[in-house]
Amino acid sequence: MNARYGMTIDIDRCNGCGACMVACAVENNIPPAHAGANDRKGLTWIRVYKVDNGKEYPERRSAFVPVLCQQCGNETPCAHVCPQQAVDVDPKTGVVGQMPERCLGCRYCMAACPYHARYFNWWDPAWPKGMEKTLNPSVAPRMRGVVEKCNFCHGRWHEARQRAAAGGLAASEPVDYVPACVEACPAGAIRFGNLNDATTEVARKSKEPDSFRLLEKLGTDPKIYYHSKRDWVKTIAEAPRPGAGKENVRG
Amino acid sequence: MTTRRDLFKITGGAAVGALLTPAPWRMITDGALWSENWPGIPRPARGEIRAKFTNCTLCPAGCAMKARCVGDQPISLAGVAGHPLSHGALCPFGIAGHHLPYHPERLLSGAVEDAAAAIKKGIGEGGRIAVFDTRPGRTASWTYRRAMASLPGGLYLRPQAALNGNAVDLSAARTVLSFGVPLLDGWGTPGNVIQARGNFRLIQVEAIESRTAAMADLWLPTNAGEERAMASIILNGGMDHIARELENGPVLVLGPEDWPEIVELNRKYGALGRTIVSRRDAPVPDTWKDAAPEMEWADAAEGSIRVLLIDETAPGAYVPWHSLETKLSRDAVVVAFTATRDGYARHAQFSIPTAVFPEALDDIPAAVDSPAGVFRLSTSLVPPAAGTIDPAMFIARLAGIDAASALRDRAGAICRSARGNVFHYADSKSTPMKEMKADAFWKSLNEGACWIDDLDPKAPAPKLVARAATRASNVSLVETCGAGLVSPLFSKLHEESHVRLARHEIALNPAGGFHDGERVALQTDCGRIAMTVLLDPSIPPGSIQAATGADVLDLCGGVTGAKVVRI
Amino acid sequence: MDKEFITRGVKRCSGGKFLLWLTPWVLLLAFGLFSAALVLIKGLNQTNMDNRFAFGLWIFLDLTVIALGAGAFFTGFLLYILKIDDLKAVINSAVVIGLVCYSGAVCVLAVDVGQPLRAWFTFWYPNVHSMLTEVTFCISCYLTVLAIEYLPIVLKNRRLREVPSMLVFEHELHKLIYVLAGVGTFLSFFHQGSLGGLYGVLRGRPFAFREGLALWPSTFFLFIISAAAVGPSFILLTTWLVEKISRKKLVKPEVPGLLARISGLMLAVYVLAKTVDTLVWLNRTSPERGFQGWQYYSWRPFGTWILFAEIVVFGLVPALILLSPKLRANAGWRLSAAAMACCGVALNRFVMTVQTLALPTLSFDPFMSYYPSWQEVGTFLAVVAYGVLVYSFSFRYFQLFPQERDLRVQTPPQREERELITAGRY
Repeated sequence: MNARYGMTIDIDRCNGCGACMVACAVENNIPPAHAGANDRKGLTWIRVYKVDNGKEYPERRSAFVPVLCQQCGNETPCAHVCPQQAVDVDPKTGVVGQMPERCLGCRYCMAACPYHARYFNWWDPAWPKGMEKTLNPSVAPRMRGVVEKCNFCHGRWHEARQRAAAGGLAASEPVDYVPACVEACPAGAIRFGNLNDATTEVARKSKEPDSFRLLEKLGTDPKIYYHSKRDWVKTIAEAPRPGAGKENVRG
Repeated sequence: MTTRRDLFKITGGAAVGALLTPAPWRMITDGALWSENWPGIPRPARGEIRAKFTNCTLCPAGCAMKARCVGDQPISLAGVAGHPLSHGALCPFGIAGHHLPYHPERLLSGAVEDAAAAIKKGIGEGGRIAVFDTRPGRTASWTYRRAMASLPGGLYLRPQAALNGNAVDLSAARTVLSFGVPLLDGWGTPGNVIQARGNFRLIQVEAIESRTAAMADLWLPTNAGEERAMASIILNGGMDHIARELENGPVLVLGPEDWPEIVELNRKYGALGRTIVSRRDAPVPDTWKDAAPEMEWADAAEGSIRVLLIDETAPGAYVPWHSLETKLSRDAVVVAFTATRDGYARHAQFSIPTAVFPEALDDIPAAVDSPAGVFRLSTSLVPPAAGTIDPAMFIARLAGIDAASALRDRAGAICRSARGNVFHYADSKSTPMKEMKADAFWKSLNEGACWIDDLDPKAPAPKLVARAATRASNVSLVETCGAGLVSPLFSKLHEESHVRLARHEIALNPAGGFHDGERVALQTDCGRIAMTVLLDPSIPPGSIQAATGADVLDLCGGVTGAKVVRI
Repeated sequence: MDKEFITRGVKRCSGGKFLLWLTPWVLLLAFGLFSAALVLIKGLNQTNMDNRFAFGLWIFLDLTVIALGAGAFFTGFLLYILKIDDLKAVINSAVVIGLVCYSGAVCVLAVDVGQPLRAWFTFWYPNVHSMLTEVTFCISCYLTVLAIEYLPIVLKNRRLREVPSMLVFEHELHKLIYVLAGVGTFLSFFHQGSLGGLYGVLRGRPFAFREGLALWPSTFFLFIISAAAVGPSFILLTTWLVEKISRKKLVKPEVPGLLARISGLMLAVYVLAKTVDTLVWLNRTSPERGFQGWQYYSWRPFGTWILFAEIVVFGLVPALILLSPKLRANAGWRLSAAAMACCGVALNRFVMTVQTLALPTLSFDPFMSYYPSWQEVGTFLAVVAYGVLVYSFSFRYFQLFPQERDLRVQTPPQREERELITAGRY
């Protein structure tokens, strides 16, 4: 049976520490920011945003929301628009994969993604001298001019697949593995698993009434379920609140 | 005879024929490979994948780590699941700790011989020598104490001990009242706090809606600088709803410093002995017992120190320079052992480069939230950079004592005590200390293990000593791993997302009239530092949130208020 | 000195004066090429585009010039398929403008992508679902068509005609002109439409997303109609400009009127279609996806004024002016209306590219703003300079305006011209 890997992210447990962001960069050979990079030109496959209830201090309440590629399941916007099929949706795992070697760098997929989960290499990657020794051999570094995004740590999935195959698991059986951000979160706010397997924690939690997905009405069928007991937090799933001045300015 | 027509026919036919083979199509497809990565893009090294274990030294938590290595080179770090103290959690600083040896700002050279000569001269002329240790309790700390005992008039100085050196047992707490302490954002051992979080109700009194305030069960906003006043009100019976909360014990009251109000509240609500407990340190060899005593730096006589050696290798408490400086004599020599230019190296005459995590073999003393004493090693995952000096060896040699096997000797003393258990990282199994021999214990420690003491049934009731506040009141400081280096990947959290405050960034309320990204100066009576503004509506108007750093602590320590000026 | 290359019967300024005219444009081209080289060598960090503004000045201007250059296909369609013969007066000029617009746009696109050397991947691994694949194929084919349509203009040059094989080639080519026009119309229909489709299919951007017919969102058809509407207007404007600069009468007076009428008619159709589409989008399409229409216009500076400007001020008003015979007959009104129509289409392309990306999609997104860097502006100025240079060259040496000779004040032919009569009428 095919797997549908997904996540539940408990916003009530996330304290915005950023461990997931750093672990993702370590695992996926994402270079540190080039001089002159800002939060609109960075490479943050998973990015923690600070959201709030729209009120002024001291009624203001904040929360932290990690946003990564939502691995859209229905008419995946980026896969549909890539002119050279550099985005492929794997039916065996549900993961939306990005092929930087085939990417032309036209950035149409970035315009198509409503979750802003795709990032462009505006510069060639550069690491301080010696730090390239710490690169992960399971993931190829990318050069400038191509788009990249979270792929649920495909390198780790691949290693798990190889170990499972060596242990006799059939190729059609889904494997158990954890992406770097899930492993790194000290609060255990991010959980990962097979949504098609009703016994997994993510499958169960995704069905709870306090779980919601971002921009559900767009019909993208994302695989990231957010969870919060706070009602005001649930409103972040909806379209932007109109009116100037209350925009999120940090995170 | 071959005619031109024949030639055309053959060539044409060959061309059409070639098109019917896979060759040209393959070559076109493979041509894509040439555009994949140009020279200059680093390729990760290949090799055997191994796991090594260590403990983090970037803060006193000392969280257990599993390093994924290619050959001998660590390429990523993760927690050790099931660890009784850290429960498999790591903070972002630790996760990228293996990058520190390659940090471009790292200090790698210093005038070692000149420093040694100046020290000898100072001692030779009868001056007093002192060591200031930013993270006391380590085995290296004992080496300094032994060294100072060997030198005439030698002093061992340490920063003020929070909670008077007692420990917090968070698992025992049912209500925690915190006055601006970042309990959920870097305090104690993150894994331990998260594990205990479900057991207690957190009331956070703070001017800013910090991360901890945002996640607390109840956030009491105060005006900037009035946290202490609120503590006083609560102590004197005002705010019944808080008093009612505090009846749900055991209670723990925490403050950024040991204010008298905090001490009193803990006493009043019975925290002493229940959530605040005394803790015995890991045993040491008997021969070390005649080492110099620990002395809080403030207790040293003014103008009395001729040679001050500062060990800043293990990030810990930073004492503002203008305070520390008062203890120096007129012709004092200051030598800083450090890996960064940004700490005491700014004030020392000599800066001697030292190893960074994970280069050196060192131990980490117990964190504030560990009721039991511990002993764990940070192993050398990569060789120390050329030119770096081991400060413990340097100072030991200076004093003529032998400390080359200090860590092993201490392990031996712990083994002989037959107390406690050893938790092994590789298989998550625990062995009682009394069942292990010294050699096996030392081997385990190096391969990934942690000794955890038994709780002392005859422990005396802890004593708390009240201190006055020393920091500027309207500046809220966010911890950023002390004065140490952070991985270059922290740009993800700083420039590339602003989810954490970077060094030399201050967060202000938009109503203050400043623009996002504006260059300003944070100014106090001690000077000014250029900063970049980040607008954040969670900061109340009038408050300033800044990231710690030695220079910011120098600026904001011991003054009443800071202000932001345009430059 | 280059008199032999200049069409017989028309007057052009001296070679020296021509070089003087060319000089600033060559300098601008050099500056623009330098900007483009910087971007190609150092990477796209030279621009002010970023992860939120993945498209910027270049895409907006590319879409605009392709719409303006639509005069080439539409005039060809009207002339060769619908047989409106009066348009013969401007078809050559339209083709040159089209060629310049499309080749310039393609050059800018080559700089705009992160990996220009991989441009052939779209042909090798095409994605049938993607509008951009369609755009790539069609624009490449259409550029080829335009180049082939440009050839006869080149080959009709006085000197080149003296080469017999060129004469024959040109003659044969001219037989194909109906085929070329038909193919060009077909290809243009599709890529103008697909450029609109690029935005209309973005289900992740409810501001741009539209319902439509089968796989084609309404923006597909709207872009075609608006391009067809603005093509003749742009030809009108450029013809007037060239007349002004060269100080010659190039077309008979009824031609601008004809162009204006065609443009006005198409523009009126467009405004009607656009109004219907906007109403459906605001009341059904967008709310169904969770985004209320009015909230798009609450983000300053893009208030409802921009919608009003696009459809009414720069859409309905010029349509009405161009449809009114009295106003159309007056050059001032006619040219203003044509200019407003062009602005309207530019505004529409701006709204679809820049405003789409500026507006937030997630509730914790801020409104984003963007302005181009000098390298981006420079690269585009290179296209403008290139266009002026190619057009100037074509105007000087090729017969872009067949009616010019008849309109020229009759003066006795000069001595040299009498002696140099050789084969061919020209």
